[in-house]
Amino acid sequence: MFRHTPLRVAALALLAVAGIGYAFGASYFGLEILTEIAILAILVLALDMVAGFGGMVSLAHGALAGVGAYGYAMLQAQAGVAPPIALLGAIGLTGALAWAIGAVCARSHGIYFIMATLAFGQMAYSYIFETPVFGGDDGLGGISRLDLSVLGLDLMDSRNFALFCLAMVALAYAACAFVLRSGLGRSLSGVHESEQRMRALGLTVWRVKAHVFGLSGMIAGLSGALAAQHIMYVSPGLLSWTVSGEALVVVILGGLGTLVGPLVGAAFFVVLKHEVGAITPYWHLVTGLVLIAVVMSRANGIFGALEAWVGRRRAARQPQPLAKEVPGNA
Amino acid sequence: MTHDAGFWVLQALNALQLSMLLFLLSVGLTVIFGLMHFVNLAHGALYALGAYVAASVAGAWGGFWVGLIVAPIAVAAMGVVLYGGLIRRMRRSGPMAQVLVTFGLIFALLDLTRIIWGDVALASDVPALLEGQVRLLGVDYPAYRLFVIGLGLAVLAVLAFVLGRTQIGAMIRAGVDNDAMAACLGIDVERLFFVVFCVGCALAGLAGAVAAPLLSVTPDMGLQILIPVLIVIVIGGLGSLKGAIAGALIYGVVQTFGAVLAPQLSSVLIYALLALVLVTRPTGLFPAKG
Repeated sequence: MFRHTPLRVAALALLAVAGIGYAFGASYFGLEILTEIAILAILVLALDMVAGFGGMVSLAHGALAGVGAYGYAMLQAQAGVAPPIALLGAIGLTGALAWAIGAVCARSHGIYFIMATLAFGQMAYSYIFETPVFGGDDGLGGISRLDLSVLGLDLMDSRNFALFCLAMVALAYAACAFVLRSGLGRSLSGVHESEQRMRALGLTVWRVKAHVFGLSGMIAGLSGALAAQHIMYVSPGLLSWTVSGEALVVVILGGLGTLVGPLVGAAFFVVLKHEVGAITPYWHLVTGLVLIAVVMSRANGIFGALEAWVGRRRAARQPQPLAKEVPGNA
Repeated sequence: MTHDAGFWVLQALNALQLSMLLFLLSVGLTVIFGLMHFVNLAHGALYALGAYVAASVAGAWGGFWVGLIVAPIAVAAMGVVLYGGLIRRMRRSGPMAQVLVTFGLIFALLDLTRIIWGDVALASDVPALLEGQVRLLGVDYPAYRLFVIGLGLAVLAVLAFVLGRTQIGAMIRAGVDNDAMAACLGIDVERLFFVVFCVGCALAGLAGAVAAPLLSVTPDMGLQILIPVLIVIVIGGLGSLKGAIAGALIYGVVQTFGAVLAPQLSSVLIYALLALVLVTRPTGLFPAKG
């Protein structure tokens, strides 16, 4: 089950202060990067919820975010729906699609689950790529951002939009933490431990998986709808399976099943991409080598390694073991 | 158009040619998985490497045939390096760690090919011997594509013979079935893994060399082929030769005929089929283990 350890609370506070502080200090380019981090962070929160706590390693999440982006673009720019309703519509649509994918894939495990979600993600990609309504390869433009002038905020200003995205990260994090600590989230942890045991206890396993996958899809949809508002343009590339792969990489770099780690991972990944990308066009090479090093080190990502280190320090100070705390899957 | 027999023959040949290319790639991947439970996503990147080596060798020393021989050897050598450096250590990790490490490898190999060969697509010529068309069953068909079909069938025959009729084949089948038991019976399973991995890599290199004159050689060709190959092995069932053939044929037929008969649906069709297979038979049509 998900717990807020003091270390996690401290890391969250530090991330919040850094994010908000940077939003007020940064130039235009810095704000764009901050927004990119925030949008990626929402997506990897959604992925960590299913992969880290339910063992459902999904390669459909990039496509789900893309569905959210296209859902928002179609509703807002093509159908002329008011932006807030288009946003909710996009989130609802993505959630429903994710629920269906989760329900169908619930029986598959391990590599088959990965492949099945990959297939559904690719199906969405091909459908959007081939259907003329969605603009094909050219994508769709003319998307406007949410209008928050009631609150005195102009989201066309990149600082305001970055702050808005940060607020959305906080909302998504709260939603993930709430779901994981609810009865549903506890059932999911149980299913992750042993499906057979939960079934024997009278739980309908597929329904738990589908529900959590659907909720995760809603958060992925939010990420996509924000991405559509950020660049004000959508293209099929948003749904490419490599986006899902990158999201998985970010979750692993940060620390699977820690919820805080993926936030760290998102910041690390985007900054690495831009910093290395500024020096050499071959930033994929660096990312690939970092990823291999992290996975081979057997540490649970950056944040997981930090948690393990803090845990060891505490154990060294207090010789008698306190409790059976398993840091990785807590 | 669809009532013309020539049309069906032509499309059937196209489907067969695509199937054979996919078969060359998926058979290595599937046997590696069956034997080692190792998911090597970088298989597509090895295929791209094979295509680059073949195109460069053909360009430098002016011979397609030299490239066809050098590419599998070069890619197998790369496989030896990967096995010693990464794969052996990742054997006991879960599928997710393997997927991630090989995903990192894709990134690294993609940029390595870009650093060595640049971003520009390489062109590779069809060998003089196989230029032009051959008249077959009432249609003119490019000789090179027939060669691809023939090569695929030849590899299939050799593999079916080795796996089904020789001692090493029996050892591999025993390893796929139950590696602990096979080890108890005195089979050096580790060495068997190593050999199979290298042969799989060599086949990926061969597929790359064969594909070079058909497709343009670009750094992301490995990424583009990866998804079809994964679909083939998941439909067919991971780990079995029969599954790789069945999956490759199904993919080739659905993709080729889908594209001409129902262009709007063609790309969704294969994914829908994959989803159907996964839902009804979660381990594929011909899983290696009962």
